[in-house]
Amino acid sequence: MKCVIGGAQLRVFGRAIHAIARISDEFWFDPVEKGLALRSVNSSRSAYACVFFSSMFFQHYCWTAVSQPCQKEKQLSLPCKLIIKSVLPVFRCVNVLERNVEKCSISTSPSEHHITFQLLCRHGVVKTYNLTFQECDPLQAVFAKHMCPNILKVHYRLLADVMIHFPTSQEEITLSVTPMKVCFKSYTEEDTDFSRTMLTEIQLSPEEFDYFQVGVDSEVTFCLKELRGLLAFSEATSVPVSIHFDRCGKPIAFSIEDLLLEASFILATLCEAEKEAASPEPACCPRPWDSSKTGMDKSDQPSMDGASNAATAASKKPQQKGNTPNMDPAKPQSALAKQEVKNIPRGMERDVPGRAGAATAKAVGGEATEAPYAKVRELPMVPAVEPHSCCLAEHPHVLWGFQWDQLSQQHSWKTPALLGTLLGAGGFHWEMLLAEKDHKVVKASQIINTQILYHSFLPVQILHFPVPLLILWSCLLQGEGGHW
Amino acid sequence: MPFSAQPPASGERCALSASLDNARHLSSLLRAVHFQDYATCLATASGLRVTVEDAKCIQANAFIQAEIFQEFSVQEESVMFRISLSVLLDCLTIFGSSSLPGASTALRMCYRGYGYPLMLFLEEGGVVTVCKINTQEPEELLDFDFCSTKVVNKIILQSEGLREAFAELDMTSEVLQITMSPDKPYFRLSTFGNAGSAHLDYPRDSDLMEAFHCNQTQTNRYKISLLKPSTKALALSCKVSIRTDAQGFLSLQYMIRNEDGQICFVEYYCCPDEDITEAEL
Repeated sequence: MKCVIGGAQLRVFGRAIHAIARISDEFWFDPVEKGLALRSVNSSRSAYACVFFSSMFFQHYCWTAVSQPCQKEKQLSLPCKLIIKSVLPVFRCVNVLERNVEKCSISTSPSEHHITFQLLCRHGVVKTYNLTFQECDPLQAVFAKHMCPNILKVHYRLLADVMIHFPTSQEEITLSVTPMKVCFKSYTEEDTDFSRTMLTEIQLSPEEFDYFQVGVDSEVTFCLKELRGLLAFSEATSVPVSIHFDRCGKPIAFSIEDLLLEASFILATLCEAEKEAASPEPACCPRPWDSSKTGMDKSDQPSMDGASNAATAASKKPQQKGNTPNMDPAKPQSALAKQEVKNIPRGMERDVPGRAGAATAKAVGGEATEAPYAKVRELPMVPAVEPHSCCLAEHPHVLWGFQWDQLSQQHSWKTPALLGTLLGAGGFHWEMLLAEKDHKVVKASQIINTQILYHSFLPVQILHFPVPLLILWSCLLQGEGGHW
Repeated sequence: MPFSAQPPASGERCALSASLDNARHLSSLLRAVHFQDYATCLATASGLRVTVEDAKCIQANAFIQAEIFQEFSVQEESVMFRISLSVLLDCLTIFGSSSLPGASTALRMCYRGYGYPLMLFLEEGGVVTVCKINTQEPEELLDFDFCSTKVVNKIILQSEGLREAFAELDMTSEVLQITMSPDKPYFRLSTFGNAGSAHLDYPRDSDLMEAFHCNQTQTNRYKISLLKPSTKALALSCKVSIRTDAQGFLSLQYMIRNEDGQICFVEYYCCPDEDITEAEL
């Protein structure tokens, strides 16, 4: 693959790299026939970015499918998908870049395992960078933007002007919308000392937006740091930013689209605590996911109260915690036997069994293998979890467990490698200890993010698991094979 | 404004005495060679030379000609002593290192001779500071024996072209490889770091190239950690001359124009690195 980026577009490309760099240190470099895609996901899987440059963006774009006959390569028809660290130095100073660099050519040679970036600069100086890459599995997030009830479209300048009011130390902000107004405010955890914090709130009326559609009143909280990268990038492209989102807990997508490129940043959102009384137990005891209610569109919240309290009390930052997940594709999952949950906390009794839920889940499970993209964003119904029972699979490969109380109860269970990683990366609001099938323990960390979406092919028994949102996490990545 | 000196005790003459209206002329040059704590100062009638060495592989010299000083006198043929450069710089910048227009520190320097401390009198805005810095036995300095007859390749470049390159050198690379050649790539700086290799090519007909005299293709490697401090000198300079001799010794000479437009020189000498094996590109 070889492409040449001309002067004016270099700034855009450099900004894209910088924006992606805010998500993670590594990114996927994925040249395809139609163009070049750059993707990144952060270590806690709470933010995903994809920038796709169509071949017209480049002065010159040439891609040939290379078949890899040698035995190491699994991919046959596509050039390798890559992770590159340290590309950033190449595009280090974006402002200087456009002044000094006339054009940049990027070429890959699969046989040599490096990508060459060559910058033709002022005064005839030529900078050549030969960067090594790693083969890896494809990365793709699935998010159905068209199914989001709330869509806002706004010029980047407005968003930038809004964000500038938030201090750079502000980690998360909350966007709340009603059909009458849009409000951005800083998010604080409940244990914050309010006497020392500054809270910022900015209200906008619908007229300020190029496009305003609010189907569902919602309040979503997401990480601001990642968004700032996108804003800087959109400034280079001068394309309006579209925001697609739903209720809290569902991901929010910021995207830019024009003839030459498409960029989307998908961020996880925090599930807010509702007005319902918090569980009297220590915050780390979550209530199990209320199966019957989740089938309906309304209240995810009540069942998540304990959880979100725990989340807020735990006060974790998504990016800092979390194991770096390994990228092994998940192995196909054998059907699980009935699962049980151990050590259910006191809050469990409130659960209402949902027969209908079970049926749906089964049906959903059935569909799974055929159409992984089918049911996006509908939370599956699960049968009730019996108090004081354990979620256990009889199958030796898969045992589930979780630690209700971060501090005391620890159970080690076996999970498939990928799931273990994902769950490890995305413990909802309590810490989890999971073990791989060879008895390695993978300790999960806490993050405050919730589901992005889910795949419908999960067997029912898994859905028994009172932390289904973690399962939903797994769907952010389609590993090779894509199912487990 | 010039500070009228306090002469030393009656009858005694200083082996070295100098005064300078703007101590920054001296301190900025010394900073360009400040990569070790200790430096050797050599004062002769033509001026002051401050030398810093490391690992017996690299030597940096800062030359401040007598003409830069308002007053400069050396009683003996030459005066040499070793002194803590860090302390000297701290004293010279005792009134702060920010360069406000109009406010400058006046300096008077006095060294009575072997065994005596170096006295500095610094004045700014009516406030006077007196510093006494102990001197030490000078150590033997390396002699790179670099004279113009032995030079194989020589390039003079405008510093602005190199500044960014040196500032962005991949420090995960152990070496900086310098290729100078009458043919392509003419002048190339290469690093081999964790992420891969990087090459910076300067063509001989580039605007930045003031002089290009390469007779032979030479590729030499130098430990990057030793050369990195030269970035400071590069940042101050307007031109740099890069020379190598038959053994691969490198000489970098930086022409620095100070605030008053006077020219001073800083040079770096470096031995080539023999130990590193050929890295793959």
